[in-house]
Amino acid sequence: MADVVLKDVRKIYVGGFEAVKGVSFTVPDGGFCVLVGPSGCGKSTLLRMVAGLETVSDGEIRIGERRVNELEPMERDIAMVFQNYALYPHMSVFDNMAYGLKNRGTPKAEIETRVNEAARILELGALLTRKPRQLSGGQRQRVAMGRAIVRKPAAFLFDEPLSNLDAKLRVQMRIEIRKLQRSLGTTSIYVTHDQLEAMTLADRLVVMNGGRMEQVGTALEVFEKPATTFVAGFIGSPPMNFLPASVEAPGRLRLAGGASLAYDPAVSGAPEGAKVLAGLRPETVAIVAAGQQGQNQSQSTWPRLKIELIEELGMGRLVHGRISESAFTVAQGPSEARPQGADFVIEVAPRAIHLFDAASGARL
Amino acid sequence: MVEHRRFGNLLPHLVLLVGVLIVAFPVYMAIIASTHDQAVIANGQMPLTPGSQAYENYYRTIVAGTTKTTRAPVGGMLLNSLIMALGIAAGKIAISIISAFAIVFFAFPFRMAAFWTIFITLMLPIEVRIYPTYKIVSDLNMLDSYAGLILPLIASATATLLFRQFFMTIPKELVEASKIDGAGPLRFFKDTLLPLSVTNIAALFVILFIFGWNQYLWPLLITTRDDMQTIVIGIKKIIDVHDALTEWQIAMATAVLAMLPPVAIVVFMQRLFVKGLIETEK
Repeated sequence: MADVVLKDVRKIYVGGFEAVKGVSFTVPDGGFCVLVGPSGCGKSTLLRMVAGLETVSDGEIRIGERRVNELEPMERDIAMVFQNYALYPHMSVFDNMAYGLKNRGTPKAEIETRVNEAARILELGALLTRKPRQLSGGQRQRVAMGRAIVRKPAAFLFDEPLSNLDAKLRVQMRIEIRKLQRSLGTTSIYVTHDQLEAMTLADRLVVMNGGRMEQVGTALEVFEKPATTFVAGFIGSPPMNFLPASVEAPGRLRLAGGASLAYDPAVSGAPEGAKVLAGLRPETVAIVAAGQQGQNQSQSTWPRLKIELIEELGMGRLVHGRISESAFTVAQGPSEARPQGADFVIEVAPRAIHLFDAASGARL
Repeated sequence: MVEHRRFGNLLPHLVLLVGVLIVAFPVYMAIIASTHDQAVIANGQMPLTPGSQAYENYYRTIVAGTTKTTRAPVGGMLLNSLIMALGIAAGKIAISIISAFAIVFFAFPFRMAAFWTIFITLMLPIEVRIYPTYKIVSDLNMLDSYAGLILPLIASATATLLFRQFFMTIPKELVEASKIDGAGPLRFFKDTLLPLSVTNIAALFVILFIFGWNQYLWPLLITTRDDMQTIVIGIKKIIDVHDALTEWQIAMATAVLAMLPPVAIVVFMQRLFVKGLIETEK
């Protein structure tokens, strides 16, 4: 049991390419930290540096009390679960799990108890004599997990462990991983590009982009107060809509098409006249048929939505369209009516509008 | 293309049968000839049925030898050939698997240069470098020895290349998992790489054993003592007599004996052999 601390960690490859540009965060003892970002953002490189599979160009990595920069992977007291499982194809399930213990000179009797214990937790008991090729994807994933837990390491490292599974199994394994981690209380770092996986698993979410950390926080913090337009667009599905606008007066935005939108000045403090991007989550927006009864005066200035496509999801629908030139998506719940007609405006609570600086993308 | 017409199989069978006959007939003749005595063969009318001299001929071949030409029994030659072929096959596999291991899994300066140097020697058969090789072997006092027969032949670019190609198909996560599981390079080699290479090794062993067994020029050059002759040279010497009749029954018995070990190797290792050449199990 230990915490994992990264201090200004950098990775510069031989050619001069900087894959990780100074990342610092702490995973508390027993915490579950998820690194999320698009492919090529450096998240896997970062994890591999923690594992000791890549050298650290600059900065410091600590696991517990020890600085591990110069230690070999086996000396770091970590276990890793790979995307393609990386099971030893010629060894039985038992041997796969026992291999790491054997190499460390663990007594035979103890290996046996530990492997059997892991097999019991992961429900692999009946499969111990099988070879990996005789197992299904989900079972292989369990064996890979088992190989990690028998060692009782200071930290688990997961490198997109669920990417090779089908959607249904992925959800199931996701829940199992979280339960397992909770019951074992082992510090974990988990890399994924799937924002849903990231949201559901993380105590602490690290959103990365282009080798930098965009934001660190709990899943809810990151979702509710995204620090940049990148985070706002990456976390949440369907992604947040952005509308270019300028601040007309505190609490009032003027959109590109001339429409206006109210926001809560207590939530976002943007200076008057500033060029901003207004971020609207698809599920916070309501579609109102324009020019119908119940129309009040201000509605004439509400943003107009031109609907292009409606996707039925069963548990609601996605309405894709445009507001002036910007693509705009609205997520409707199952109880909301499918929009009929041609002319719509959108309505959104002022508190639900996020404002970002148009130039830097930073939250205002 | 698989067809299931009733007579569709007839023609292919016929073609195969003719092929088998053409290939097998000389072998059959050799076996028949090795069972007759010298006079029957020498009169020019070779019978097509087995004779009665099989036991005598083979006994004489293996234990006594032809006194005039080889001056040594074929039994000893068989043993020499066996030691040489096994030594070459084992040596080639051992050296090439280690070279491929180094080339694929380690990053060191001039790695590609080393690989290309090995690769270029693919184009240098023993005949091309025979003079310098002979000089070195003779300077090292290895003429007329098993070491002299084996050592110059055990470097193999082909086998190195084969192992390299196979190693490159091993996912790098497997290497990394081994590292995290606390296996150093040697342990990774022993625990993971070797077991995964078994079928490849078997396939190579078959090919290399036959290569070693069939060596002619090199053993001819460096063996002068009768008790160091290999069987392939023995056949040649038995046939090559002056001022006397060639003892064809002995020559044929020797040929048959020379055929047996490679055939046995192929028969017993066929399953692994085919598996090693076509299957990549990961």
